[in-house]
Amino acid sequence: MKFQTVQYDSLVTRLDFRSKLVIILSITILAFVWESPIAEGILMLAVILSSILAGVRLNYLGTLFKLMIPFYVFLILSMGFFNVEQVKLLAHKSELTTIFSFPQVWWLIGGAKMSLEGILYGLNIVFKTLTMTLVVPLAIFTTDVNQMTVGMVRAKIPYKVVFIFSSTLRFVPLLLEEVQLIIESQCLRGLDFEKMNGLKKAQVYAKVAVPLILNSLAKSQKLEVVLQSKAFSGSSNRTYLHESDLAISDYVLMIASVILFVVAIALYFSFGIGKFGWLIYQ
Amino acid sequence: MEAIAVLDKVSYIYPNSKEAVLKDISLTIDKGEFLGIIGATGAGKTTLCLALTGIVPQFYGGRFFGEIAIAGLDSLDYPVSELARHVGIVFEDPEVQITATSVENEIAFALENLCIPREEILRRIPIVLKSVRLEGFEKKNPQELSGGQKQRLAIAAALALQPDILILDEPTSQLDPIGAQEVFATVRALKEELGVAIVMTSHAAEEMAGFCDRIALLSDGKLLALGTPEEIYAQVDLLKQKQIRSPEVAQAFNYIQQKGIDVSPIPVTLESAIQSLEPLRSQAQLLAPPDFLLPNSNNLNKPPILSVKNLQHTYDDGTEAITDLSLDIHEGEYILIVGQNGAGKSTLVKHFLNLLKPTRGKVLVRDRDTRELSVSELAQSIGYLAQNPDNQIFNTSVEKEVSFALPFLGYKSEVVKQETKRSLKAMQLWEHRHAHPLSLPKGERGRIVIAALLAMNPDIIIFDEPTTGQDYQGSTSILEVSRQLHQMGKTVIVITHHLYLMSDYADRAIVMGKGTILLDAPLRQAFHQTDVLESTYLTPPQSVVLSQKLSQICDRQYPLVTPEEFANCFTRKN
Repeated sequence: MKFQTVQYDSLVTRLDFRSKLVIILSITILAFVWESPIAEGILMLAVILSSILAGVRLNYLGTLFKLMIPFYVFLILSMGFFNVEQVKLLAHKSELTTIFSFPQVWWLIGGAKMSLEGILYGLNIVFKTLTMTLVVPLAIFTTDVNQMTVGMVRAKIPYKVVFIFSSTLRFVPLLLEEVQLIIESQCLRGLDFEKMNGLKKAQVYAKVAVPLILNSLAKSQKLEVVLQSKAFSGSSNRTYLHESDLAISDYVLMIASVILFVVAIALYFSFGIGKFGWLIYQ
Repeated sequence: MEAIAVLDKVSYIYPNSKEAVLKDISLTIDKGEFLGIIGATGAGKTTLCLALTGIVPQFYGGRFFGEIAIAGLDSLDYPVSELARHVGIVFEDPEVQITATSVENEIAFALENLCIPREEILRRIPIVLKSVRLEGFEKKNPQELSGGQKQRLAIAAALALQPDILILDEPTSQLDPIGAQEVFATVRALKEELGVAIVMTSHAAEEMAGFCDRIALLSDGKLLALGTPEEIYAQVDLLKQKQIRSPEVAQAFNYIQQKGIDVSPIPVTLESAIQSLEPLRSQAQLLAPPDFLLPNSNNLNKPPILSVKNLQHTYDDGTEAITDLSLDIHEGEYILIVGQNGAGKSTLVKHFLNLLKPTRGKVLVRDRDTRELSVSELAQSIGYLAQNPDNQIFNTSVEKEVSFALPFLGYKSEVVKQETKRSLKAMQLWEHRHAHPLSLPKGERGRIVIAALLAMNPDIIIFDEPTTGQDYQGSTSILEVSRQLHQMGKTVIVITHHLYLMSDYADRAIVMGKGTILLDAPLRQAFHQTDVLESTYLTPPQSVVLSQKLSQICDRQYPLVTPEEFANCFTRKN
């Protein structure tokens, strides 16, 4: 298992990590500020499209969607039914458009109404979170770990923090392998997970933690000694094998994304572009 | 000879400990020499290695007495990072010591920390990669390398500092034979070509005898003896007393010596032993080869307990790990499965346990297809001891550990108690039943897991690489447990690379390579098919090679496999 999933060379993989950080930051803030399902939807599609163009594997995106679907269904339903006051305020309406309601006689949920505006607001949140979750892998999966560390150091992040980050990328896959190994070993002690109920299963799974923590402690102790022998002090005063120089394309992209960001924010506040009712209620 | 490291009356006590781990050690390491350090687990070998880097005591603290000078620098006065320019160290575990995500970054890491200019780092990378034969691997992720390649990378990273001494602490104990051979060959070339002094600890007696210029014997923190491999390994009885194995040829000639036949000096390498054969023949009387009985074949006529039929397994990524393999295992057999990493051993065993499903073919346990059996049903037929028994331990007392799985199998509480007691007693753990499993030494922890398996009363018990990373004492004690289980009537399957440990135990050997069975024969016969073993980089025990030479010289077949058997073919001339 490796973290860098993108193998081929593209505009995105050639960019410096710092320019990618600027883009991530602008997109995340925009996604956060906007409330319009249309604007959020366009932003999300743009991020998905660039992920695909940059070579992030489709099955990764598919898994992400699958994982998020139950959460999103819950989100849209609860927004549709319950988020009334906030949506009224955002849509500048005193009455919401009901698209569905339960008969009054039903116990507990009788009379509950689902509003079109609530659902639109739910969609806005879905797109917003998807944009935020997709933009991070777009930057990380398309960057070589070494470039990432050097980029972070150049961005004045202390080397200790950068080292923790890069060694996490090195050791997390090892840890996952170990979890697999321990679960297998426990199965072989005759524990039939298929036949256990949820509670029992959870208890047994929790026991995986015992060997895992002990192994990790032993490993981290060994790692400390290894780092000592490699003259590691955590000081930022060191040389770097990889250089990280900003190319013209990096500068262009950074400046462009900052300008676009400022323009988008200005349009939002002065003309309401990106506000909830944009292109729907105005 | 010019000294590169000098230890003067060095003693050391770890913090929160009363007992010294190093006791009054004085030793001089010369420029360009290859010094081996041998000793049982706990003798102080690793601590001595760490003291040579300054990590002991600078990083650990504790109480340090005496002096160590490395390239003229006192190990207490100079920081570890400064000493690192003169001493490189390679550790046992290939996984933990590699911290970077590409080969070139791994080599650069220490150099970057020492503020060596980028141009110089770029100059050194190809040089050190060439010296460990990893050219062209610069951009690779270390995770994609084999165990041997990872250790060679660790050596390259240590070499990049251009040290005067390279320390290797058990660098081959986690590797398969190919990996171990790669590392030994690399280290020998470094010594010859670069003149780096090498300090290596290892339990691999045969290799150490062949490679080292001098050997230091540590026991209980003391430097007990220092001399050439011939001087040290010839003291077979002293080493045995200190729980250290001598090379098989030294053991064989030592037995002969004990019969009153003068064979001094006792040879410690295969080459010198072969040369000693002619003089031995002139001094001693050679007896006729003994008749060796074939292993008990009573059960071979009965239906097999485990049967593999035309098994094929292809992993999701398209790797064909097993190709059309058929095999019958009968009740009461003791079977050895050997082969390199990637030969298909683990894949095969995972099919026995239903952890993998056949792509084609089937595996039957007592005529029942494993695919139809649940994990707990299988656990009642097959017990599996993992390479690291700690992964199978997770309860707070030995007794709870052993009884843990039984209620899940539907045992009533009376039966649980009874079975737990029976297996604790069988594994001599009854006295320790209230102890925390992890408070017992590693060898005992393996026994706890075996007791837990035994409580389920399986017919077959599988030992997966039980001797990896263990010293001689640890290895033999776990193999003795396997013998005990075999005597109880269990079918035992042991997977290992250490052929020389198995001569006394197994009846039948299965040699695997490239997903298929290369050889399946009674152990004695299999060990003598040295060309098949060597074709898959397995080293036949020295006694086997020696007896083949003997057969050649006197034109009679001596199918011997142990040093005792070899020695027993000679008697004093009347």
